[in-house]
Amino acid sequence: LLTGVSGTPQEKNISLASPTKVELTCKLDENSNLKNPQVTWKRGSETISHTIKTQNSWTIQVTISDSSHLGSYTCILKGEKEVSATFHLQVPKIEGKEKPVITYEGDIAVMVCKTEYKPKSWTWYMANGTELVPIDKILPKDKCKFKTPSANVARLEILKLTKADGGVYWCEAIFELGKSKARFELKVLSIVAPLKPFIAIVAEVAILVTTVVLCEVYSKRKAKGREKEFDQIERL
Amino acid sequence: PAPAEAGRAPGPPDGGWGWVVLFGAFVSIGFAYAFPKGLAIFFKEIQDFFGTSYSEIAWVSSIMLATTYGAGPISSILVNRYGSRPVVMFGGLLCGVGMISAAFCTSILQLYVCVGFITGFGLALNLQPSVIIIGKYFLKRRPIANGLAMAGSPVMLCTLAPLNQFLFDNFGWRGSFLILGGILLNCCVAGALFRPIGPGTATVKTQVTEESKNARKGTITEDGPMENKTEEEEEGKDCFEKINQYLDFSLFKHRGFLIYLIGNVLMFLGFFAPIVFLAPYAKHTGIDEYSAAFLLSILAIVDMVARPATGIIANSRWVRPRIQYFFSFAIAFNGACHLLCPLASSYTGLAVYSGFFGLAFGMVCAMLFETLMDLVGAARFTSAVGLVTIAECCTILLGPPIGGILIDTFGDYKYMFIKCGTVMVLAGTFLFIMNYYNYRMLAKEGKERKKKEEDPQSVRTENEGKKTWNKDSTQSGPELEPLREEGEGVKKEMNGT
Repeated sequence: LLTGVSGTPQEKNISLASPTKVELTCKLDENSNLKNPQVTWKRGSETISHTIKTQNSWTIQVTISDSSHLGSYTCILKGEKEVSATFHLQVPKIEGKEKPVITYEGDIAVMVCKTEYKPKSWTWYMANGTELVPIDKILPKDKCKFKTPSANVARLEILKLTKADGGVYWCEAIFELGKSKARFELKVLSIVAPLKPFIAIVAEVAILVTTVVLCEVYSKRKAKGREKEFDQIERL
Repeated sequence: PAPAEAGRAPGPPDGGWGWVVLFGAFVSIGFAYAFPKGLAIFFKEIQDFFGTSYSEIAWVSSIMLATTYGAGPISSILVNRYGSRPVVMFGGLLCGVGMISAAFCTSILQLYVCVGFITGFGLALNLQPSVIIIGKYFLKRRPIANGLAMAGSPVMLCTLAPLNQFLFDNFGWRGSFLILGGILLNCCVAGALFRPIGPGTATVKTQVTEESKNARKGTITEDGPMENKTEEEEEGKDCFEKINQYLDFSLFKHRGFLIYLIGNVLMFLGFFAPIVFLAPYAKHTGIDEYSAAFLLSILAIVDMVARPATGIIANSRWVRPRIQYFFSFAIAFNGACHLLCPLASSYTGLAVYSGFFGLAFGMVCAMLFETLMDLVGAARFTSAVGLVTIAECCTILLGPPIGGILIDTFGDYKYMFIKCGTVMVLAGTFLFIMNYYNYRMLAKEGKERKKKEEDPQSVRTENEGKKTWNKDSTQSGPELEPLREEGEGVKKEMNGT
């Protein structure tokens, strides 16, 4: 049972993983200016007829058995003003990484795909230009590992990275009601890349420490020189 | 030190090279406090990489914090033996080595060792000596110096947070750890600036010989009281003295020290938890991620300004003699903020809370070490800070998890804030009352001592039969005297030391 509250144009995203029956309700607030509106439920351009009406709410029942039943369902309340609310029934979204994953040559790259619902299966693709090629077909078995630590988490590990492994990867979760994809970008850097700033910083530290020590030795010598002068003056 | 030097400069310089040392302490303390917090940015990525749970990653932070505080006594012993400079330089080197080796880790256990233990220990070797050396270089302007040095923490945090994010976006976590290791080596530069101070060691020596004499009288030995003997001439020292030379356990009989210890241990139970849970609480009330992060920024910016400002206020003529009251007030104020937080429901309310929290947090941190120095004196501060940090270590680690348990059990953040607020108000009140008692006892003992100073013979016989808490007041006496009687300040210092 899902409800939407009207007032201003509202939207709600609902994720469905497996076939189910859904009830969508539009409720009118008691303090609203709209009185006794005419209500239509629409999906795209199609009007849905079986609306159940109670005092201030209008409900439709939808059976989602396959992907063709997914989409946007809107309830439109017409009176002096027109108010609407939309429910987007979708396949669950899966999380990837927006920022590139940075790894190094010879290291392991790990890409983790998560979702809230349990998909039937997972597939990983590598982007070759605009084509998506399944990874298990390109890469040998000792190069990459698929793991599913739990049903809603998928893990791809690519071992012994080389620069050629960089690029775009896609993780696809197959639900009963459809498929969902997430994008990963893999960047493989050479070990030299962070080494340059590191050596620069170490050099800076060494220079500063030497400067401080030299300054101190110099000022001590000056002080000793002055002391000797004082002693000599006193003796005189 | 040559006799001429000891005669020329009897007290801490309060300026000159001291400002350079202050800058070094600023950097060193900043890294010690801000670095563990700044690492949190990498945790999610490392968690995904090794496939561990969130709590296993959180252990890295906990081990690091525990080592930084728990290694306090070791740090104190090393400073007592070798002085601040070599310890800080070695600490910086250790931090660097720790993070560089962390860049090549292949398991979470290795991360615990490299990031947790090695870097944590290095940071401990950074933190204590930096605080100690401020006490050696400053006396009259010490609260300002402490406030400025402690301001290093929020400044470093504000610098490290975006820097870490930048490094992570460009180099991944391994490259970032490598570069951070290099950055931590800068602590060696800070350490190089910590020139050992001559006149300070002269006063320390005479105070230490006095202490060892009294310590001997405190512990029952067969030897009769031996005056006018320096430590080097002593033979047949018993075990207590040797340990006391490195880590002054006789502090546990010091009234002021005990008050400070109990009050602070209690305070730390509620000190850090609100910071840890501020952003999650904000998100829980429906605020988006960026605004929640901005609350922490407000906190850090107010904190940055509050610390030096508190230092200046604490240094003023009216506050400094009663600095313990100011400290207790700051703690209670902190607690009051937390108690009022559940009333703030909107974003502006939370922003105001963050502002006040930042102010209170800064006030407490700025005076944290200043009050301890004020109570035990610069000489025993080295050991005192070590003992205090290891005691605080337990409650610091317990604070956030207890808060977490409260949140999970009741499903509501307000109980955590109430708990933190109550604990801190209690600690503040306790410190206020006990310090009032302490000030009165010190005033009484000061008057008694002045009467006896006219008759030196009775001083010595009194010394032999004195109760322990009277003995300790002679150590803290010379500390407070220059401040209470400003006119005769310098003269008294030379007489007392």
